[in-house]
Amino acid sequence: MAQMPALIPKEVEIQRLKKIWMIVITMGSTAASVEVDNFVDGSLHQTSIRDSAFTPAHWWLYSHFVALPLGWGAVSIYDRKVPILRGPNNSMNTGLKMTILGYLATMFTIGVNEMWHFWFVEEIFAVPNHWMFNMGVVVAFMGALAYVVRVYARLVELGAETPGENPYVAEMYKMALEGKLYSRSIP
Amino acid sequence: MTLPKGFGSGGGASSSDVNKMIGKRVENMIGLYTLGYLAAWLSTFAGTAVGYYYYPWAYPAPSGHFAFIVLTIIEAIGYLFCVKVGQEGSSKNSNGVLAGVIGGTAIATIIIVIFVNG
Repeated sequence: MAQMPALIPKEVEIQRLKKIWMIVITMGSTAASVEVDNFVDGSLHQTSIRDSAFTPAHWWLYSHFVALPLGWGAVSIYDRKVPILRGPNNSMNTGLKMTILGYLATMFTIGVNEMWHFWFVEEIFAVPNHWMFNMGVVVAFMGALAYVVRVYARLVELGAETPGENPYVAEMYKMALEGKLYSRSIP
Repeated sequence: MTLPKGFGSGGGASSSDVNKMIGKRVENMIGLYTLGYLAAWLSTFAGTAVGYYYYPWAYPAPSGHFAFIVLTIIEAIGYLFCVKVGQEGSSKNSNGVLAGVIGGTAIATIIIVIFVNG
């Protein structure tokens, strides 16, 4: 892999990347817990006839929509201390931009969703106002994945982590380090 | 190498500059990781307990206990990863603290699940 130019001392960069990595691990735990809540919520919906936004399973589900954007906000603030993670023209990293855009879409959809349910009370999963929730979260996760891979690839390049043995994974890291994870032209 | 204002003296970064730029090192943050894990574990207990104390019709205690156990495992994995990633490549080793804290919360989780039923 090509060594990227060092703008801050290597040891400083490793420490800073690892601090970002810790926030990512914490958010990963949060996201994993929400996977469990899918089952808790599903189980509740088997027995509870009337639904509301304030069932225990929903507190758990909806609170991650607060926790993850806050975590990514913290990452995007701290991220400015690592030059290698900057996006085009010294802007915010493209992965973080996508993540924030995705969560903004879900926040906007909360209003749209409330308006929809003013007229249509029935909670049907596939109604159009729910599409944007799901698409927003998917866009956020896509951006987050790209960002996380880039952070990890840099840790590998700096010798702080072991490189992947799978050639496809190694190629992904190489592309990330060259700033070509999304395409060969968009950093 | 360009250093931020206030660092270096024209001849590159010295080790004290590097230490100043780093601040608190990730391998020395075991206290923060442990506090974070314990806070997450306690709030998980509180969250599930509020569920089965105040909404037993919607959230029976076995459901809350299931959630509490699985979440404790997930949080423990997160805690383990944070400590291991933070200390890899350094001479620091907090396996004793890890074993004590994770073992302690595991036992406390079992006791809570047996005796606290809403």
